[in-house]
Amino acid sequence: MNDDAMRDEWYPVGLFSQLDRGGRETTLMGAPIKVALDANGAAKVTGEDGRVLPVSVRYGHIWSSLGEPRKPVFPIPEADQPGRRFVDVGVVRVRCSPLRAVENFLDIAHFPFVHTDILGSEPHTEVEDYKVEIREEEDEVWATQVKFYQPQAAKSASGGITTEYMYRVPAPTCSVLYKTCPPRPGEWDVIALFVQPLAEDLCDVWPWMALFDDETPLTDLIHFQQTIFLQDRSILENQIPRLLPLDPGMEIPTRADLTSVAYRRWLKRHNYTYGAQLVAQ
Amino acid sequence: MLSDKTDTWVPVALSQDLPTGQAMPARTLAGPIALWRSQSGRLAASADRCPHRGMRLSHGFVRGEALSCIYHGWTYSQAGRCLRIPAHPSLTPPETIRVATRSVEEAGGIVWVADGEPDGKPPLFEGYVPLRSLTVRAGGSALSAATGTKAAVEGFVWRAPGAPAIRLLPVPQETGETLIHVLVPADCGVSERVAASRAAESLRRMAERIEAKEAVP
Amino acid sequence: MRLYDYVLSPSCYKVRLMAALSGVKLEIRPVDFHPGAEHRGPELMALNPGGSIPILEDGDLILTESSAMLGYLAAKAAPAWLGSGAPEETARIQQWLSFSHRLTASLGGARLHEMLLRPGDIGALQANGIAALRELEAGLFEQKMRGNRFLACDRPTIADIACFPYVALAPDGGVSLDPYPTIRLWSRALRSLDNFIEMPGIHRLHELKPEPRPCPDEA
Repeated sequence: MNDDAMRDEWYPVGLFSQLDRGGRETTLMGAPIKVALDANGAAKVTGEDGRVLPVSVRYGHIWSSLGEPRKPVFPIPEADQPGRRFVDVGVVRVRCSPLRAVENFLDIAHFPFVHTDILGSEPHTEVEDYKVEIREEEDEVWATQVKFYQPQAAKSASGGITTEYMYRVPAPTCSVLYKTCPPRPGEWDVIALFVQPLAEDLCDVWPWMALFDDETPLTDLIHFQQTIFLQDRSILENQIPRLLPLDPGMEIPTRADLTSVAYRRWLKRHNYTYGAQLVAQ
Repeated sequence: MLSDKTDTWVPVALSQDLPTGQAMPARTLAGPIALWRSQSGRLAASADRCPHRGMRLSHGFVRGEALSCIYHGWTYSQAGRCLRIPAHPSLTPPETIRVATRSVEEAGGIVWVADGEPDGKPPLFEGYVPLRSLTVRAGGSALSAATGTKAAVEGFVWRAPGAPAIRLLPVPQETGETLIHVLVPADCGVSERVAASRAAESLRRMAERIEAKEAVP
Repeated sequence: MRLYDYVLSPSCYKVRLMAALSGVKLEIRPVDFHPGAEHRGPELMALNPGGSIPILEDGDLILTESSAMLGYLAAKAAPAWLGSGAPEETARIQQWLSFSHRLTASLGGARLHEMLLRPGDIGALQANGIAALRELEAGLFEQKMRGNRFLACDRPTIADIACFPYVALAPDGGVSLDPYPTIRLWSRALRSLDNFIEMPGIHRLHELKPEPRPCPDEA
């Protein structure tokens, strides 16, 4: 499997707030790495051979790479917007391809069945047409004008509303979603999924949020997001195959899946195939 | 794949373990299957994989005469045809969206599945009724050694001390494990059935001990 | 009654589930167990020096063992969940309440390891979990032979609620439930109870609600 293209990307490898001098030992694309604070309190990532790896600290997380990233960690402009609360949700390990974890995050059609009475409920199962594009300048996948009826869209939402979403894939194992923000019409809450590929069929998922919500206690916000993600986890660990099939024919998309179709096309175009299955088996 | 095996009936579960309106996982040599029984009591078996996103259909739910995937609610008939895609309620799914099905028959309280089209009916074990199924982490040779009888796939009778003579139906799994259906004489009372169940547990311990020893180089 | 609660904890879920089934309203105090480790912080350690959750506080009474909480909720609001008082039934309830701690140690340990990266010997945790599931399967099978669908009698008791969560969530720790048909039937019977509530990892039984619209070819 050619993983060169993905080697040069940034990946989350830990929460900066939880890092100490002792550090944490983890894995990135099959390679053991150590993430620790150096004597000056800066994050340091080293490979097994003692090789010092690239480091960046963004959005509460430490980012690193086995290769040589050509760009900084992708921008999330809302991370610098005043008035937002930033929420480190913490890590959850999932026995699935990192690409499957991202694809599930881009999907709304499962809400009524997997996040029942929270993000969706029968009979409100219809996915209306939305717009999908690969933005060439930023080299990102974008889905906009995504709408879905939700019984309880966020911790701050009371009662059902039609929520609007935008989805963004700025890196092969990361996605950022923007959703209607109940307390502040006109603004968007930001929920990101940063996925650390441990192996092609195993990943650590680090959700992160930047919200306009001064009311809800932090722990409630964390529990809400953990609830949603743990409902997904039992699905992700039971998909066959574990790897994401990139060849058409193995799985059947519909109009509701256009974001995933664009994501798979974009992965293929860039040869982002770590965690992908290329030949139908 | 063991093609010479595909036209034979394989006992995959006991009828009592699959009530109406439920789905359960099972296996044949051709892979995992979703076994389900509709509201009207009809049995169906399909590949354990929704063609949409690969989710295991045995995790799904049965409403009326159809099985739905737990992931996006795609709904399939007993013949494997997709009837409904909830994300597109007004769409009639094209005929081409289907899940592969298997032949399934129920006989003597046992559910039999075949990957192909077998000629005859599944066998009946006169005078016996199914008790329970259990999975043993051991193959046929360890099972034969533990019972002192050849663990034939068409079934064999074994008598443990203090328990009635029981009939065992071993089903080799591609994992190297063996699924065993335990049958008891139809006239057994409650205490004899409990004794037979405990005897089967003892047999599993013996067979697994033998298997573990054989595995040591 | 206040429950110090973590939404992903099967032990906390036992208490939430028992409260829902017995109609008791709980005041939920969320605890940042992960990633914040708040259960090891000064406020909660003062309440429970053992450093575990759930903690149930009712006036002067502070409980830190989930089995005791189940007994308390049932005694207060739904005594039928404590069984009939017949000696054998009482003994079976105690037997499975004690047994439930083995599920927590094995399947719960495997789950924390596989999901939240807690240290542990995963092979041993999973092997002990499988051994416990086999015992439960055999126990439930024998109960079925006696005409009982549940662990202590033919109706659910606190023993079933004590065992159910870690069993239902075994796959979270990499332990398959596929080989246990009697556990599947039992779990299904519990999930079908009126006022049953889920937790993440235990999905809704959508079949309990009718199809919202007819299938196109039946319309």
